[in-house]
Amino acid sequence: MTQEMYDQELINIPILVDVPYRFAAGRYMARFLRELRDNGKFYGVRCPSCKRVMIPPRIVCARCHVKSDDWVELGNEGTLEAFTIMFFPMTDPTSGKPHNPPFAYGSVKLDRCDAPVDHFLNIEPDMEKIKVGMRFRAVLKPREERIGDLSDILYFEPVKGK
Amino acid sequence: MKRNVAIIGGGQTHHAARRHDVSQPEMVHEAVLAALEDAGMTIDEIDAVILGNMEFFEGQHMTDCWLADSIGAYGRSGVKITTGGTVGATIIHAGAHHVASGLFDKVLCIGFEKQEEGDTNAILSAVAHPLFGRSMAGAAVGFFAMLASSYMANYGATEKHSAMIRVKAAENACKNEYAHLKLTITVEDVLNSRMLAYPIRLLEMCPASNGACAIILADEKTAKDRCKKPVWIRAMDTAHNEQFVLEWRDTKSTSPRFSEVSASRIYKKLGVKDPKSYYDVIEVYEPATWAEIMWYEDLHLCERGEGFRLIEEGETNIDGEIPVNPSGGVLSTNAIGATAMLRIWEAALQIRGDAGGHQVPKEVRRALATAYGGTCWTALTSLSNSTDD
Repeated sequence: MTQEMYDQELINIPILVDVPYRFAAGRYMARFLRELRDNGKFYGVRCPSCKRVMIPPRIVCARCHVKSDDWVELGNEGTLEAFTIMFFPMTDPTSGKPHNPPFAYGSVKLDRCDAPVDHFLNIEPDMEKIKVGMRFRAVLKPREERIGDLSDILYFEPVKGK
Repeated sequence: MKRNVAIIGGGQTHHAARRHDVSQPEMVHEAVLAALEDAGMTIDEIDAVILGNMEFFEGQHMTDCWLADSIGAYGRSGVKITTGGTVGATIIHAGAHHVASGLFDKVLCIGFEKQEEGDTNAILSAVAHPLFGRSMAGAAVGFFAMLASSYMANYGATEKHSAMIRVKAAENACKNEYAHLKLTITVEDVLNSRMLAYPIRLLEMCPASNGACAIILADEKTAKDRCKKPVWIRAMDTAHNEQFVLEWRDTKSTSPRFSEVSASRIYKKLGVKDPKSYYDVIEVYEPATWAEIMWYEDLHLCERGEGFRLIEEGETNIDGEIPVNPSGGVLSTNAIGATAMLRIWEAALQIRGDAGGHQVPKEVRRALATAYGGTCWTALTSLSNSTDD
């Protein structure tokens, strides 16, 4: 190495920041997660003013700023509003590891709800085969494996004939 | 505003994917020096310094402390601001409030990002609700891919329209000496690039850039005394959506869209009836091609569902009826903490007639700059060469 090369050497230092977090779900989200875990059901809350049914359930409606405490059982089926097929090994921020691409995921608006939930779509990752408007059904993990987390949903699968 | 506020100078770094030759403070200092030189000022004349970037993108908390020396904040008033992608615009708004209120006369505003030093996608995905779908979060590319699939299904736009937006950005960026990506590409090249998240391909998404932008704001007296071509901030507005309600993914939803709400308030304040004729140039915040099409609609340059027609007809080209992103936009340069400020700075350069190679070929009197934060809120800034507007 010449002196000139030595003088031009630039240095980069890798640092790994590994920070653990623990989030409190709060009473509303805890009820949503308990129903999902123990009864395999989805629940939202209806705003008493604008009447929309919201998930994730929350105490206050952003639009009306009033307390919502009318719990509504939602369907386990819904309509696909938007989707993508991920080809990029995006890091899952809950695990630090990438999901295995390619895979499809989408926003499914469950029946009787006004907001969708995002999850994996158990369908061949082929853009010709997935259409906005298709019907999907939530498939949950077996009861004994459910922990009270959105990962209790395995995926959404297409409802045949719809 | 209680006192009129003007942009009296600004500057930016040359943006690049790799900047191993400088640390974060050293890179930001380049923009600060450029802004001071442009304004013909020394750091001693600055009353307050406002700095911002994306929280934890570079793994560094309290960047305002680490950067105090290089940004000239030592012993000076100032504050750090982090509002996600909007931060560059929010810094300007905060600076304008500081000046308009009479608290300070000259405020230095700085936005920066050194994206190569962290994992942008992982941190952007952590914007998602921790207990409701964060595992599934696809960062910005996943967000815009969902939006695009809904938009195409609902309105009949095709991937070709998206590619046309990208080619326009590339052609403009080639005229901008500071742009990061200066690509010579065709619609076919875009459509043949690697798929990231259907329907968004590599070339339809913004790059990860390193860079900084700095702007100096001043009160009317200072501006008139010190600046030959002051650019006046005539209106600012911020609007938020519900961050964790994903219903905006349905592009047919009739719920109020934050960006449209914000634009409507700006137009009402300024008495704008037809934004396409009121503004001479617009700089929008488009992390993905499809976002630019959304902006056309949200800014009322056309009807809902008609945005893709504007690019088809060339109306937003640099020599079109309403040029959008003559700088090459975010698709060509995205140092996120600087990005929204760059929209404002590029709009100001157009009004001054100082944009150089990418100056739009007409008289520019008024310009609008937009921003996205977390894709669920926006900060809009309306600029003019006159305090009469």
